[in-house]
Amino acid sequence: MKIIKAIFKKQAKDMFKNPTVLLMFIIFPAVAFIMTVFVTIPDNEFGDNMFVTMMASIFAGMGLITAVAGAIAEDIETRSLRFLIIAGVKPHQYLLGVGGFFLAAALVTTIIFNLIGGFTGTDCLKFLSIMGSGTAASILLGSTIGMWSKNAQAAGGLATPIAVIIGFTPMIANFNETVEKAAGILYTQQINVIVNDFSADMKKPLLVIAANITVFAVLFVLAYRKKGLKG
Amino acid sequence: MIKMKNIVKRFGANTVLTDVTFEAGEREIFGLLGPSGAGKTTIINILTKQLDADAGNFETGASLFETGLMLDTDGLYSRLSCLDNLNLFADIYGIPHKKGLEALENVGLYDAAKKSVGTLSKGMRQRLALARAILHEPKVLFLDEPTSGLDPNTAKGIHKLIKGLCENGTTVFLTTHNMEEAVKLCNHVALLHQGKIVEQGEPSKICERHNSYKTIPDLETVFIKLTGVELE
Repeated sequence: MKIIKAIFKKQAKDMFKNPTVLLMFIIFPAVAFIMTVFVTIPDNEFGDNMFVTMMASIFAGMGLITAVAGAIAEDIETRSLRFLIIAGVKPHQYLLGVGGFFLAAALVTTIIFNLIGGFTGTDCLKFLSIMGSGTAASILLGSTIGMWSKNAQAAGGLATPIAVIIGFTPMIANFNETVEKAAGILYTQQINVIVNDFSADMKKPLLVIAANITVFAVLFVLAYRKKGLKG
Repeated sequence: MIKMKNIVKRFGANTVLTDVTFEAGEREIFGLLGPSGAGKTTIINILTKQLDADAGNFETGASLFETGLMLDTDGLYSRLSCLDNLNLFADIYGIPHKKGLEALENVGLYDAAKKSVGTLSKGMRQRLALARAILHEPKVLFLDEPTSGLDPNTAKGIHKLIKGLCENGTTVFLTTHNMEEAVKLCNHVALLHQGKIVEQGEPSKICERHNSYKTIPDLETVFIKLTGVELE
C-alpha cells in the first residue's frame, strides 16, 4: 500500500507542475460553467444542463484517455519507470498508483460538474456513479495506449484520435440520429443518455459501460502481456 | 561479492557477450573497461536483472532492494524537485525523508533541493542520479559511466564520493571507457572487448604484465596492445 501511495503522491505533484494535463481537468467544467451561465438557447430541447452533460461526457472520454496514456508513456520514455521497477515497485502497484490518482482527480472534476449541474439526491448519486464507471473505462483504455506506446509523442498520436471519437461522438449524436444509433455502443454515449435524463432506465447504459470496460480490460491484458511494463 | 561465470548474451543472431567470467570482491571498487558497444551496459543489465543471460550464471551478493543503480539515462522526473525525486524513492524503500536531504548533501546538491530537475545542468542531474542510487545505503552499487560527459571538477567530486562509499562498506561496480579514471579508482578491473574479457586483475599488475607501467599504470596502452582498438 505504501508504494501505491508513493506513486499516487508522485503523480499528484507531477500533475500540478504539468499545465497541459492540469488544464484538462479544469477546462471542461470551466467551459460547461461559462456556457451554462452565459448561453441561452431558445426552445432548448436538450434541457438546462445541456452543456454540463456534453462537457462531462467529453471529459470522461477525451481528457482522461490522453492524460493517462501520456503519463504512462512518458514514464516509459524517460526510463523513470525502469528505476521504479528496479527499486521494487511491481507493475500492478505502479498502475494502481497512477490510475488511482487519475480516478481521484476525475472525481474532483466530476463533483465540480455536479455543482454546476445542481444535481441533488438520487440524481447526484447516479451522476457520480455513471461518471465514475466511465472514468474507470477511460483509465483502462488510456493505460493500454500508454503501455503500447514507445514514447509520449506516440501515445499522443494514438490517444488523440481515439479520444476525439469517444469524447465527441455523444455531442454529434445529439444532432444526428444515425450517429446516435452507432454511438450506442460507446460508454460516453451512455453517460450522456443518463445525465440527460436521470429518470431513464439505467440497466442498458450500465450494461454497455460494463461491456466497454470488459473489452478495454482484455486489450489491457493483451498489451501488458505483449509489452509489459519494464520501462 | 559479484561473480559472473561463463555468461553468454545474444540479441537475435548477434552475440554480444561471450563466456564472460569475472569476480569482484566485497567492499572494493571494480571497474569494467571497454569502448562503447563492448557490452558493459549489457553486463550491468544482466547483473541488475533487467536482462536475462542466455547461458552462464551470476550472483551479486545483494537483493535488488540492497542494490543502487545509476544508468546512462537518469530516469529522473524533470518536473519534480530534486528532493521530491528522492522522497519518492524514500517512500518506496520505506526510509525517512531526511535521508533524501542527507544524500543531497553528500553529492553537493543540498542548496538545489527545491529546484526543479528540468532546470539542472547535466553534471547536477548526474549527481542527483547518484544521490538516488545511494539513498538507501545499498550493499552493492552499479554505476554505468558515472562521469561520462562531466567537467573534471564534477568528475573529481564523484570520484571522491565513490571512494567514500567503498570505505563505508559498499561494493562498487562501475563501467567506464576512461582508463585514467579506472586506474585512480578501482581495486580491480576487467578489460572488455567485443563482448569478451581480454584481461583482468589489479590495474598496476595488469600494466606490469604488459610492460606498460610508466609513472602511473597505463591501461590504455595495454588495451590497445591487446585489442588493436583505441578508446574514444
